[in-house]
Amino acid sequence: MRDRALPRALRLLGVSWSRAARAVFFGFLALGSAVALGGVSAWLIARASQMPPVLTLSVAVVAVRAFGISRAVFRYVERLASHDVALRGMSALRSRLYERLSQGRLDAVAPLRRGDLLARVGADVDHVGDVVVRSIIPAAVSACVSAATVVAMMALLPEAGGFLAVGLLLAGVAGPWLTARGAARTEEDSAQARSDVSALALDLVDHAAEQSVAGRAPQSLSALREADDLWRASTDAGARNTAWGAALGMAGLAVAVLGALWCGIPAVSSGRLSDVGLAVVVLTPLAAFESTLVLPAAAAQWHRSQQAARRLMALWDATEPEQDTFAPDAVPGSASRLGSRPAVAGADLVPAEESDMILSTSGLVAGWTAGRPVTGLPDLRLHSGDSVMLTGASGAGKTTILATLAGILAPASGAVLTASRPILTTEDAHVFHTTVLENLRVARGAVTPAEAREALDVVGLTPWLSALPAGLDTMLGPEGSTVSGGERRRLLIARALVSRAGILLIDEPAEHLDVETADALVADLLRLPQLPLTVSQVRVVIVASHHLGAARFADQVIDVRPWKPEPPVED
Amino acid sequence: MKPLDPKLLRFAAPARRYVALTAALGALTAALIVVQALVLAHVVAPVVGHQAGLAESRRLLGWLAVIFAARIVLTWAQERFGQRAGVDLVADLRSQVVARSVALGPRWLAEGRGPEVVTLATRGLDDLQPYVTRYLPQLLLAATVTPASLLVVLRLDWLAALIITVTLPLVPLFMILVGRLTQGRTERRLAVMGRLGSQVLDLLAGIPTLRALHREHGPERRVRELGEAYRRSTMGTLRVAFLSGFVLELLTTLSVAMVAVAVGLRLVSGDLDLTTGLAVLILAPEVYQPIRQIGTHFHASADGIAAANSAFEVLDVPLPSVPRTPAPVMTGGSVRVTGLSVAAPGRRVTAPSDLSVDLRSGEVTALVGPNGSGKTTAVMALLGLVTPDAGSIELIAAPAAGVERHPLPTAIPLHAVDPATWWSQVTWLPQRPWLAPGTIASNVGLEPGELISPGIVRAAQLTGLDDVVASQPQGWHTAVGQGGVGLSVGQRQRVALTRALVAPGALVVLD
Repeated sequence: MRDRALPRALRLLGVSWSRAARAVFFGFLALGSAVALGGVSAWLIARASQMPPVLTLSVAVVAVRAFGISRAVFRYVERLASHDVALRGMSALRSRLYERLSQGRLDAVAPLRRGDLLARVGADVDHVGDVVVRSIIPAAVSACVSAATVVAMMALLPEAGGFLAVGLLLAGVAGPWLTARGAARTEEDSAQARSDVSALALDLVDHAAEQSVAGRAPQSLSALREADDLWRASTDAGARNTAWGAALGMAGLAVAVLGALWCGIPAVSSGRLSDVGLAVVVLTPLAAFESTLVLPAAAAQWHRSQQAARRLMALWDATEPEQDTFAPDAVPGSASRLGSRPAVAGADLVPAEESDMILSTSGLVAGWTAGRPVTGLPDLRLHSGDSVMLTGASGAGKTTILATLAGILAPASGAVLTASRPILTTEDAHVFHTTVLENLRVARGAVTPAEAREALDVVGLTPWLSALPAGLDTMLGPEGSTVSGGERRRLLIARALVSRAGILLIDEPAEHLDVETADALVADLLRLPQLPLTVSQVRVVIVASHHLGAARFADQVIDVRPWKPEPPVED
Repeated sequence: MKPLDPKLLRFAAPARRYVALTAALGALTAALIVVQALVLAHVVAPVVGHQAGLAESRRLLGWLAVIFAARIVLTWAQERFGQRAGVDLVADLRSQVVARSVALGPRWLAEGRGPEVVTLATRGLDDLQPYVTRYLPQLLLAATVTPASLLVVLRLDWLAALIITVTLPLVPLFMILVGRLTQGRTERRLAVMGRLGSQVLDLLAGIPTLRALHREHGPERRVRELGEAYRRSTMGTLRVAFLSGFVLELLTTLSVAMVAVAVGLRLVSGDLDLTTGLAVLILAPEVYQPIRQIGTHFHASADGIAAANSAFEVLDVPLPSVPRTPAPVMTGGSVRVTGLSVAAPGRRVTAPSDLSVDLRSGEVTALVGPNGSGKTTAVMALLGLVTPDAGSIELIAAPAAGVERHPLPTAIPLHAVDPATWWSQVTWLPQRPWLAPGTIASNVGLEPGELISPGIVRAAQLTGLDDVVASQPQGWHTAVGQGGVGLSVGQRQRVALTRALVAPGALVVLD
């Protein structure tokens, strides 16, 4: 299964084989020019030494000059063609990855918020694309050129062609195979030592002061040196393979040249091979082996890409989409049954009893993975204007409940009934690296600047907005780094407001704010359903927070507790 | 950017040995390449001229086999030692960088160099490996094979030598010229590419948010458009960037072709014999081969050179001189802090500002104040890890026994004592304590096999470590890795606090 990762990733690249074939063709012409240059110039010189009329050489002279130019030209075209293939593939892979992740299990996607993991996904896509440019196409070109050269030499003298074939196989197949094995072996043997070295170095730099004061720094430094020694020792076996791989490249050349001489010289004496032909048979291999030079690097790239593909495919498999989440074709505004698992007892359809009911739940139990409930919720009957506050210790399951109410997570059991799609704003929601306005339009594409200003005013961001250099068109930094913690939270709420959602679910809006600001913000949020419809379309608000200062503004306060078999108790 | 920085040889002993070895291997390779070309020409030419058969060629064929065998050994050795030297060099520089940054102290690390040192120490220096194993050998071959082959060609045929001598300098010249002409364009494109690439990643990172807003289906088209824009932009860059590769290929191949034609025409007119002609023809590509390889490995090496340069910058920072005066014996002594002020780096604040305090033997002193008022900085100054911008810290020894009526105990300024002798008398518990790799027992000061003493049990009860130990299946022998892996921050603090209580120094600092 693991070893199928790269072929699977390659299928996702959707490489157009006609484009790839075009790149290989140009590569063939480029490398072929180099080999032909070697062969034709050997013929030219050998023939010239017999002092024929100059005119008989003119074709060869022109050909040599033409090959001298065509090699560079075709190589340039080939590099562009192969990169084009790879870039198209990488673009396709990124789109497919996005599509997959945007529908896959949320718990597998959530870690991507970490910058380093995200960057690794980006780099892995590049590595998988690189396998086309640096591995597959060069190998194909090398194979085509080698085959053509062997055929040409066989036409002159079959035994010489045979020796060339053996030599090329040594240098082009056995050598790169050993190199790749060496690289894989090094990595396998030294993985532990490498991570030890990194951890020790990191520990020393991070805790330099404490270790110096405690007098432990010299000890730690010598531990680092010891770990470095282990690392060095562990790379040795792999390096030996790599060295033999390189030596095989030279051995292949030796076999081809010596073999050509060994069978070519008697062939000239017996008249099977022309005198000029000997020069061609002996000197062409010198150029032919240039095609194998890139192959060890190609093999190493294959290995690197394989690892990148394994990580990507592991992510791909981890995000196996949930079948029973919110149906994408559900019509907002009409009561709809959110995903329930009929297999779980008590998940029958709950009919809307009252026409102005906005959100109701029955016997709701929430959890991230099937069979492992995190928490339950007392039955809710929320009408227009209602606000609910969820409290409880961290880890009690407030976020899980909100995600289930939002329809992102299927209920473990029970059902949720809503009049419209709820919008969830989490404490760690993403601020996109684009303008303020576009960040609001993430919620609804048609938001006008006026609507955006209004929403920012509702959350108290007007002073912030007027201080921005380009107002609504100000770019926000990557990871929202140019926005302070409090501003960021308000911006996220403004985003939820412009979505025109009737039901707003807000997770920890006041985390890391000082108490006064936090209470004011939570109180503002809980009063949103009471605002006139012209200001806000929000009819029901559910806020999860442990800032109890604003609890009196909520119509209902629910204490969320970790799941125990007996039903949860309402406060 | 220098292709071979002399600093590399100065700072890293493995690099010195390796460069010497590679230079020797390169010289040998050059000699073998030249001899091989001459022998090959001498074997082929008489056969083509019908002056020799297999019997006459046997001796030379034997020599040719010996030469090939030698080249196989050389290739093996170069690769074998190259791989080893790459690892050696990275390990050597890493130890040096870490040792130097520890010696330079936390203030230097905090001044913005910390993350860079961490990157260098963990994986940044790995980029040096391809530089060492691939690029350096070609650089040395260019210094040996290229001139050796050229000299031999010059002796054989002046016209071919002239063609090569004229075209050879054109290679770097044109590459620099093309590079200059396209640099601005490439940089602009690279910026665009970087932005497009990060936008796709930004969308990936935002998937949970988009899902929460039920807007995850909109950006699919955007991702495709970005991918297409990224491809177009990259292809634009590559069309320009590959020009230098094109020039390199064109010049090197075309000059070999020109040499072949020139030699051929001179052979027809009888100015040259076939042996010479063949030798020149075989040697001409060898002159250019190392230069082409340098071009191939250039980009891989650039990262390595950059990593090495960052390492040299760290190693070039001079170490502060360490005073030799030992700290006085502080048991029963005191520390006097007068008007201590430290300017916070990067902020226009002084914290602590004008702090005066006497830390007397037998007393507990509490430093209180809001966030950012300089409590930790004051501790760092007290430990001599931070140099005060104003004020003084003095160590005052206990009056020696028998001379109790000595009027004035001598005060030694902290900056004048050897820090190691001061630190050995201090127990410091920082906010984020460090645990040595080992077990909980080893971290509270127990030797392997030693029994838990009543003192340790008492200390563990005080800090709550006993609960931690009871909750771990391995108890006192619970392994803690680097950074205290396996324990929570609170549990780590309890281990460190217990350690501080078990073996307190003359001054105990709890931050």
